[in-house]
Amino acid sequence: MSKGNSDLHRLISLSRPWRKQMALGVLLSVIVILSNIALLALSGWFITAMALAGLGLMHLEFFTPAAAIRGLAVLRTLARYLERLVTHDATFGLLSELRVWLFRRLEPLAPARLQDFRDGDVLARFKADIESLGNFYLKVMVPVCAAAIASLVLLIALSISSPVVAAIEMVALVLAGIIVPFVAQRIGAAHGAVVARERAQLQAGAADLTRGLGELQIAGAIKDRSDRLMAISANLVRAQRKLVWIAAGGNALSGLIGQAAVIATFVTLFCVSSAAGAQAPYAAMLLFAVMAGGEIVAALPAAFAALGVTRAAASRIFAVANLEPAVRFPEPANAVEQIPTRFDIAFRNVTMRYRPDAPIIVEDLSFALPQGSCLALTGPSGAGKTTIIDLLQRFWEPQSGEILVGGRPLHTLSEETLRQTIAVVGQHTHLFNATIRDNLRLVRPQASDEDLWIALREAAIDDEVQALPKGLDTVVGELGAHLSGGQARRIVIARAFLSDAPIMLLDEPTEGLDRTNAARVVAAIRRLIANRTAIVIAHQAEAKTLADRVLAAPFGAALSREQAEPTPMRAP
Amino acid sequence: MTQNDTRARTGPASPAELKVASRWLSSLARGVRGSFNLTLVMAGLGAAATIWQCWLLARLIDGAALRGEGLAPLSPYLWLLGLAMLLRLGLDALRQGFGFEAAATIRQDLRALLLLRIEALGPAWATGQRSGAIASTLSDSVEAIEAYFSAYLPQRIIAALVPLAILVVLYPFDWVSGTILLVTAPVVPIFMIVVGKGAEALNRRQWQRLTLMGAHFFDVVVGLTTLRQAGAAKRQALIVANISEGYRQATMQVLRVAFLSSLVLEFFATIATAMVAVYVGFRLFYGDMAFLPGLFALLLAPEFFRPLRDMGAHYHARMEAIGATEQLLAILDAPLPPERPRHPLPAAAIGEIRFENVGFAFENGAALSDISFTLHQGKTLALVGVSGAGKTTITKLLLGLLSPQAGRILIGGTDLADIDHADWQRRTGWLPQRPTIFAGTIADNVRLAYPDATDMEMRAAADHANAAGFIETLDAGYQHAVGDGGRSLSGGQIRRVALARAILGKPSVLVLDEPTAALDDENARQTIGSVLAFLPEAARLIVTHDIDLAMRADDVIVIADGRIVEAGEPRALLAAGGALSRLADNGI
Repeated sequence: MSKGNSDLHRLISLSRPWRKQMALGVLLSVIVILSNIALLALSGWFITAMALAGLGLMHLEFFTPAAAIRGLAVLRTLARYLERLVTHDATFGLLSELRVWLFRRLEPLAPARLQDFRDGDVLARFKADIESLGNFYLKVMVPVCAAAIASLVLLIALSISSPVVAAIEMVALVLAGIIVPFVAQRIGAAHGAVVARERAQLQAGAADLTRGLGELQIAGAIKDRSDRLMAISANLVRAQRKLVWIAAGGNALSGLIGQAAVIATFVTLFCVSSAAGAQAPYAAMLLFAVMAGGEIVAALPAAFAALGVTRAAASRIFAVANLEPAVRFPEPANAVEQIPTRFDIAFRNVTMRYRPDAPIIVEDLSFALPQGSCLALTGPSGAGKTTIIDLLQRFWEPQSGEILVGGRPLHTLSEETLRQTIAVVGQHTHLFNATIRDNLRLVRPQASDEDLWIALREAAIDDEVQALPKGLDTVVGELGAHLSGGQARRIVIARAFLSDAPIMLLDEPTEGLDRTNAARVVAAIRRLIANRTAIVIAHQAEAKTLADRVLAAPFGAALSREQAEPTPMRAP
Repeated sequence: MTQNDTRARTGPASPAELKVASRWLSSLARGVRGSFNLTLVMAGLGAAATIWQCWLLARLIDGAALRGEGLAPLSPYLWLLGLAMLLRLGLDALRQGFGFEAAATIRQDLRALLLLRIEALGPAWATGQRSGAIASTLSDSVEAIEAYFSAYLPQRIIAALVPLAILVVLYPFDWVSGTILLVTAPVVPIFMIVVGKGAEALNRRQWQRLTLMGAHFFDVVVGLTTLRQAGAAKRQALIVANISEGYRQATMQVLRVAFLSSLVLEFFATIATAMVAVYVGFRLFYGDMAFLPGLFALLLAPEFFRPLRDMGAHYHARMEAIGATEQLLAILDAPLPPERPRHPLPAAAIGEIRFENVGFAFENGAALSDISFTLHQGKTLALVGVSGAGKTTITKLLLGLLSPQAGRILIGGTDLADIDHADWQRRTGWLPQRPTIFAGTIADNVRLAYPDATDMEMRAAADHANAAGFIETLDAGYQHAVGDGGRSLSGGQIRRVALARAILGKPSVLVLDEPTAALDDENARQTIGSVLAFLPEAARLIVTHDIDLAMRADDVIVIADGRIVEAGEPRALLAAGGALSRLADNGI
């Protein structure tokens, strides 16, 4: 509970830039509620007074109230329109704020901290939960704040005429507006969490199904997967049904309390104090005000329900956003950064394990790689080749030891400098569902088409891109689905060419390429690394052509009886 | 990478399209007549209780304020008032419950229908789709129609009937107020339709944006590591901001118009109530009417507009549903591959598999032509050739995931096109180029095709796929949970799990698409050797770039530009110095 509150607190602090607009929305909402109560109360007073005046029981100046009734009607309508515009605008502004905020929080967490989350989950968080958070203002803050202010005004106004009626109305408002919705929300909270969870699962499961449809068909398992999705959907409906009944029951109870207040007010005014004659119009006014007072709290049950959804969404979002990045980079602004001027690489007694309870992958590893040379890492899968490359990219911090680039410890470099220094062609390098041009320009947004074609030629894919009807404007499809495996890889290699980084990390660059293409790529990579420092993860044979030294698994003095120094090989 | 995402793909919907969408939505409601009618009955009874409540209240005030009646004569009315209130609120809760049931049935049916359709459309269709978009159709778009059926559709009927009932009751008491309401009421729907029309078209584009935004975020989150490596993550934050901001502005444009319809409604409702109050007041003043009917009219006036007002509140439900309809129909109306009568595959041995002059062309121009070869039981055939030559397409044709456009594939003498595909596919095992790991445990993934396989069978398959070793080092072993994309596994591990999946059922035909990628030489040789030993009887088709693997096959086919350029026994081909030897020489 207290943790949920602190999440909400942070949520509110994120909304700072929209504060004025949010306050304006609440104010307009108060005007809507009060003008409606005033309209009904005045109408009640007016026709009762007119009836009495018609019977000659009292004297009445009727033009002002008649005009006021019409004025209030117009005021209510306009305020309502403006209120909806202002609150929705603020909501979408908040959403935008939140999305960017979450993206910025997620970004330094990749890949080290996000490994444990399923992509579908992260996506559901990014999308649905952010929307729930954005609705916090629209569905929770506005109704709650407006109800509090409007109640206060109404109760003060009522207490001037009749403290007893004010007391009745206060009890009714507290019961109908706070107690009942609060209880309903407490009962519904668990179901709300189920709804959010099942929706995320539905989304992730549906993405799985589409991506793996071919395999499922061959396995004859589409039905089985569909049944699982239907079961998730049935769970979703079950939880929603409970929420609907809880909400409907809460609404009915709140309504009943409001109606009980009307009866109690009637009995108090007319039967106990017998407000006949000249007192009757005022009594009617109070009665109508109490009747209309129900509107103040009408939106609160929904607000409480939304609060539950928001809490769940907030705790899930903050669970990810509060993760500490595996590594913190120095800010370029306040660190007097010493940008490397040479690009040799040194590992000094580096030890690495992913978790305290996980096995050691790299132990006490030391090696030096002079600028311009190329080191091959070889060994069975899972031996830690990718770990060494990840350490050099500072996705992880080693348990002990130091890594230097150009003599500068890695941890003194800003992220910007590091990323400009190192380019990667990895096993999991992602192609975005965008044009080839946009995919290449990721590393150099200003690159001209000419630059792009040069990079494509060096990656040995220029003729294939040229042959495409849309050329550089070809959209590559989700995860590069419109390209063959070999083509996708070479686009990624072209991207590395374009980046012009002084250090190249190549994680099985020819994986999935046929020998002809692999030979072309290897030749191109050789051109690329001619004046650069490079580390390549490759099989023995390939390593021989590219690298001038090799480091074989296991990595580290303590893990290997043999020495772990790079073995020089014949120059390529 | 974002310009494409933000660009709306099509213009606003034509009225004809909207009509199609509305008609389709209405047709869905036909299946749930029962709960739908109950919703209406509850609403009708609720309206009656409301009218009764208003009359009782008017009677009470009239009695107390003008006739000076005390508690004793009024108390029966007070009790009845309590009863009327109770009835009204109870009926309203029931109305919501029945409305939910109607919508819930429709949603469940719709999801089942979508899943069936996706199954029927098959992998050839799915490859061209964004899985993020399909996923959001199955979850979000189906949810988006909930309020249409639970709230909007019943409300449309309630909004027509309840005001009519109020008028019928009110006229005998006070025809002037009745006339005021009668005159203002029809104006409201007309205005709403005019305003709503404009908003509808805008809203449709809005939905497309939302879907694209979803797919974009999916892409961005999946590619987060690459964004960082490219140093592009900070820039991407700005792009996310721009897309969000663009969405805000576009949405506000829609809402400015959309809210106008409720402005019009509220305006007429409030003004009409005010007019009733003023006119009743003046007629009371001049003694033209009694207090009781006047008060009754005043109390009924807001109730007269309440159903219309509620419909205004549900109007966006209609717009959302119509917007979602497009995504839903995109799947439901996608053209199905042609159906042919299919025969079951005899349970006996499959015999030889023959490709006869098979041709296939993709829309983007890549094509296979005149592919002929024979695959024998107990033999291994290797397909080699440069990437993009069409090797994977041949495997998909064999598996029945694609259908030949020319020629035919004979399975033991029967055309594959005439064979029940499920039957055929049950006899095959497939390791695709990029295997998918499904959310669940490793055991679930290995047992995908045979959920009833015993632990022993599963372990044997994993063992032969060289996966047992790493699986057993995991804390939970075979119960280790893997997410979508199998992120917690390495590329080589994913491949080995998928290989275990492919061989688990001892298929008669085994298709391996680059089985040794992401495995080092030692691992590769060992894995393939044990897989082949596991399935000695199977016909085996292996796509590979690994010349060592190709050399160990019984036959090799070299593909270039969608044609077979060379075929035969590998050692002979190598000795002949043709295409295969060139491929081998060009290697490392």
